[in-house]
Amino acid sequence: MTDTPQWNDEPMDARLRALAKQYNRPSGEVPREAMWLAIAPAVRAAGTGVAAPIATPDIAPGVRKRRHIVPYAWTAALAAGLVLGVMLEREVLAPRAPVSVAVQHASGDTQHVAATSIVPDAGATNEGASSSVTTAPSAINSGGAAIRRTPAAGQRVATLGTPSAVDHSTKPDSRDGSTAYGTESDTDAQRLYRLAARQTLVQAEALLTSYRANGGQPRDAESVQQAGRWARDVLTSTRLLLDSPAAKDPQFRALFTDLELVLAQIVQLSGAPLQAGERELIERAMHDRDLLPRLRSALPAGATAD
Amino acid sequence: MDGQQLDERELIARVLAGDEAAGRRLYDAHVDRVFWLAYRMCGRHELAQDFTQDAFIRAFSRLPDYRGEAAFGSWLHTIAVSVILNGLQKVKRFDQREALLDEAVMVPSATRHAEPDLKERLAKAIDALPEGCRTVFLLHDVEGYTHEEIGEALEITAGTSKAQLSRARAKLRDSLADFAGEWVHD
Repeated sequence: MTDTPQWNDEPMDARLRALAKQYNRPSGEVPREAMWLAIAPAVRAAGTGVAAPIATPDIAPGVRKRRHIVPYAWTAALAAGLVLGVMLEREVLAPRAPVSVAVQHASGDTQHVAATSIVPDAGATNEGASSSVTTAPSAINSGGAAIRRTPAAGQRVATLGTPSAVDHSTKPDSRDGSTAYGTESDTDAQRLYRLAARQTLVQAEALLTSYRANGGQPRDAESVQQAGRWARDVLTSTRLLLDSPAAKDPQFRALFTDLELVLAQIVQLSGAPLQAGERELIERAMHDRDLLPRLRSALPAGATAD
Repeated sequence: MDGQQLDERELIARVLAGDEAAGRRLYDAHVDRVFWLAYRMCGRHELAQDFTQDAFIRAFSRLPDYRGEAAFGSWLHTIAVSVILNGLQKVKRFDQREALLDEAVMVPSATRHAEPDLKERLAKAIDALPEGCRTVFLLHDVEGYTHEEIGEALEITAGTSKAQLSRARAKLRDSLADFAGEWVHD
């Protein structure tokens, strides 16, 4: 040991800290305006970029926190759900040798005939089918029945799941005046596809609206890539829906097909900031197909992705 | 959640909706702290200006990804620290090349015999700290960040931050050991 005086750590550290405050001590004025000139374009780009929702904090205790998910994460989840649905449909249900049956529409000019498949089950009886029609709504909502058919599962409605596509054997539901259709699992499957289709259309509408809003503005590469990712996810969902019973409705099929084309263009051109000609190409494709008005009219008022 | 944070969320939403004035308000609310942090870390006004600009440009361009899980200020400072450290690395490489060139052409000056004062020695000792230690020391002991905030900004654990700080202080004490006698007898 040397006889050099040693630091008493605690007070010396405090002295060091106090002295260190002088290190590179800021002085003068912050050049706010000069820096803002360089920053302002980034602010404009943020405003015109593809914006993900910002989480809103709990304002009051006990108020449920809203979940906000970036669009492409949400659509990825939707796509995963659709893949699962389509796979289950093909792998689990297809081997049961469906019997095609022409289904009468129930009533009204706006309703249409849907080709349906009846999958007879060994345990299915007329009584079973009949009883399924009168199943309480609470049972219909059970998550477990969303994909799997019950033994009474007699028929699957092949359209997007609008109440117009009904089994002729079903009876009007006295609860809400609308027509009950299929069995409980059929209703859940329809609801799944209807929900998936609606969510995809909501996302597509948001994406294309955002795209159009950005159209005239120069955009940085990051925004373009982000839009590309979002478009890719919506495109995946769209293609899955095209492969699903949801696309058996000719109107929806046409809409999904046009949507697929435009989304594919956006995805293809999303590697770099768009040139004017490329933007024009996409704009024209959207305009010629009346895509946004059709998307909006296909969605119920106030539909959101939440 | 206090009123300021709610207000900032409103401002962020407005920026994302294309309101440049809201962006300016966000900028005004945070620019001083970011600039002074940059200046503290680099000690050069022009560099601090460049780093601050870069930090804000990056933050605004990433604003659509901001989920609001952390306070906007913390999120912004995380970006700022990252920008500053990356920038400093580039500057250091450049400065080293310049120094080598200077050494090659300059006649060695006479050795300074006068003992620099403590402040100057401390500044040199801080400059000589390893980058990680120096950053943690400046953020914690000078700028008043918590270890949790530092951990978030540097993507290290709070424990690592504490360890770095402890090492930084020990190195500074070693560097300034010859002043210890004066201080002990103060």
